[in-house]
Amino acid sequence: MEIKWAMAIDLDRCTGCGACVVACVAENNIPVVGEAEVEKGRLMQWIRVARYWEGEHPEAQAVYLPVPCMQCERAPCETVCPVYATYHNEDGLNAMVYNRCVGTRYCGNNCPYSVRVFNWFDHKWEKPLDEQLSPDLTTRSRGVMEKCTFCIQRIRRAKETAAAEGREIRDGEAVPACVQTCPPGALLFGNVADPHSEIARKLKDPRRFRLMEHLGTEPRVVYLKRLKGAGR
Amino acid sequence: MNGIVVVGLFDAVDPAAAAARALRALPLPEGDVTTLSPMPLPDGAVCTDPRGIGFPRVTLVGWFVGALAGLSLALGTYLLYPLITGGKAIISVPPTLIITYEVAMLGALAGTVIAGFREMGLCRFRTRLIHDPRIQEGKILLCARVSGDEEAKRAMEAMKSAGGIDVRPEEGEL
Amino acid sequence: MNGSDHLSRTDPGALYRELSRSNLPVTKKWWLGMGLLAILALWGIGCFVYMMKTGMGVTGLNRPVMWGSFITSFVFWIGLSHSGTLISAILRLTNATWRAPILRGAEALTAFTLMVGGLFPLIHIGRNWRFYYMIPYPNSRQLWPNLRSPLMWDAVAINTYLLGSLTFLYFGMIPDLAIARDHATGWRKKFYTVLALGFRGSHNEWRRYHVASTIFAILIIPVAVSVHSIVGWDFAMAKVPGWHSTIFAPYFVTGAIFSGIAAVVIVMATLRKVFRLERVLTVVQFENLGKLLCMMSLLWGYFYFSDFLTVWYNRNPEEWEVFRSYAGDFLPLFLVMILCNFVVSFPLLCMRRVRRSIPALSFVSLLVVIGMYAERFLIVVPSLARRNDPFIWHDYFPSWVEFSIMAGALALFLLLYTIFTKLFPIMAISDIQEHLFHTSDRKIGGVTVESIAMPHDTGKGGHG
Repeated sequence: MEIKWAMAIDLDRCTGCGACVVACVAENNIPVVGEAEVEKGRLMQWIRVARYWEGEHPEAQAVYLPVPCMQCERAPCETVCPVYATYHNEDGLNAMVYNRCVGTRYCGNNCPYSVRVFNWFDHKWEKPLDEQLSPDLTTRSRGVMEKCTFCIQRIRRAKETAAAEGREIRDGEAVPACVQTCPPGALLFGNVADPHSEIARKLKDPRRFRLMEHLGTEPRVVYLKRLKGAGR
Repeated sequence: MNGIVVVGLFDAVDPAAAAARALRALPLPEGDVTTLSPMPLPDGAVCTDPRGIGFPRVTLVGWFVGALAGLSLALGTYLLYPLITGGKAIISVPPTLIITYEVAMLGALAGTVIAGFREMGLCRFRTRLIHDPRIQEGKILLCARVSGDEEAKRAMEAMKSAGGIDVRPEEGEL
Repeated sequence: MNGSDHLSRTDPGALYRELSRSNLPVTKKWWLGMGLLAILALWGIGCFVYMMKTGMGVTGLNRPVMWGSFITSFVFWIGLSHSGTLISAILRLTNATWRAPILRGAEALTAFTLMVGGLFPLIHIGRNWRFYYMIPYPNSRQLWPNLRSPLMWDAVAINTYLLGSLTFLYFGMIPDLAIARDHATGWRKKFYTVLALGFRGSHNEWRRYHVASTIFAILIIPVAVSVHSIVGWDFAMAKVPGWHSTIFAPYFVTGAIFSGIAAVVIVMATLRKVFRLERVLTVVQFENLGKLLCMMSLLWGYFYFSDFLTVWYNRNPEEWEVFRSYAGDFLPLFLVMILCNFVVSFPLLCMRRVRRSIPALSFVSLLVVIGMYAERFLIVVPSLARRNDPFIWHDYFPSWVEFSIMAGALALFLLLYTIFTKLFPIMAISDIQEHLFHTSDRKIGGVTVESIAMPHDTGKGGHG
């Protein structure tokens, strides 16, 4: 069966708690850069919860928008990398090759969603924090771009398990850390090519929209609009 | 075996032109009479250069060779090893045109350098070339390639009577 | 004195001595100057090594401003390199008689600014030691660079332009190296003998030399135009608001020529002062450069206005936020740019008095160079700092490491240029001699005017 991974983010359910961010940092060996570096704009988060304000004080309301990598079908980051450090794999994911990256940062500039982060320094995990690192993926050296991969290590693990058992991968087996963690269940992940998957059904929702669609990047992350009404 | 060249220094263009006329009347073929000067003299002022200039053709050849190299780099290598990125086609025409154009210009440049240097007669380090550093004082060295002592003597006389200084036969190539 | 008969209007020995003052043996002052430049250059290199070992975080770069002073410097230096090409090539092809004294200095400016500019792509990448991944070399891992990336077009184009400029510079120097060889003694004689490649000034050599020079001039102009267009396309190909503009290619070329001519004025004024070349680098050269600078200022202003007009009229939100920041956080820099490039410079350059005064023209050129650096910065940074998602907007200011590297690059350029002037003829002596040979005084009625002969090569010339 063809695999086309996609993610659905239900903005009606998102509370802006940021658990997805923490889960992602824990799962993907993302370094904590410290307050000083964050002031300089070097925060390393593969998924960010963007907060916008609607209205003026005292009626101002916060709107939360979790922004992972959109895994664009027509990714602008892929064409501009001079060394092919980022490419499109068969599952429809925008894959990153850390070893190949020379750090021109053109891909980071070309991403309209600004989801790509750069390793401005080498990062150390002091003992015993180094024991929390996941063995399924590397830690990146300085000078390398990185971004959300839809937890490709979990996808691979699920595919390997399914192949070992001689069957296809089932819906719900490959779950990125953010999707797994989200308390209100705002994030959903799955294979849209599978007509019976939960995400295929969820994406029939008329509230669906994609971020910055006019740019023609064809993102794989679909948002479901927050509806306003009594009690919201 | 180096040839014999009769040389003579001249102070100004007119005496040198008169001497050149006399040499050509000897008779000496046009291609055997030439000048060494610190700045270029107009063609025909003292002597002419009957040989055509062929190396610009190599410039054109170089351009096409470069274009082919650029095309092989931008198109050929991708046809051999296709890799999909960003939903764009494997063979992208505009980038291919850009790379082809740049390498073509490089080829034209290389062609001009190689062929131009050869046709100018540069880099002949092993040949003994006729030269007189006194031309840097503003003088012209008139050179006549002769075959034999008899012709050499007549050439020397023609130059001396036109006002040449230090007229002498030298061994070397023009 | 009968100009048509004698080979030069001045004593050639004295002319050579005057024009080759830069090649005199080194003095204590020279060593002092070189020492200071070398220290500054080494400091820049040291900061670069520090940055390479510690990480790009020592700069002021961040998300989303991932390109900053290094890319600005890169575009700036490559832009300066358009000076020599345009001067030598275009003035050669149009037979401008005043070009001879500025040829060599401008061509050398091109070559060395290109070398310095070409360093910046290596400086700004995160893993500099892996730069060779961008070179298409056969390897067993089936890896190849992505020639669809504008950065790779940059690599090919700048390479071609560098080789072309160096060839142009060297080829133009061959007759002068021959003259230097004939005047030199000792190790210099050997040095020039090798480099002059046996050029002796024979009629055949001169004829072919002219044809080759013309061909090089014809070839280098499209390369120069394409190089800076490709540098502009680094930005125009991106999905960044304010970068994605079709006008960028001609706009960048215009800006490059503009800053290049200003650089030529500054360099020539310096050479004139240091080597006492007042008789050769006269007001004529500077006035004509001033006229070119005036025209380029107008052209630059026109392109900038065109770019601004379309964005302003449409008020596309993404692009408009970028341009709005020019009136906000980037106002000081914007004012510097617009004043230095147009508002102050253009009226000054329109005045004949300014064009004919070398100190005044040098001052205006300095303003232009500063204004153009500000312009490059304003192209690169605000578009990134105020891009699509307002949540991650962030400002940028270069750190001390970046300033050190910028200063080191300038020092390196000055170092290379000074060594060049010491070793090689900085004046195109043969071109000047040729010009003087063709120039004579002609009496028309009550005045005596300068008359310049214009011989043309007929191929099979007649007899004298």
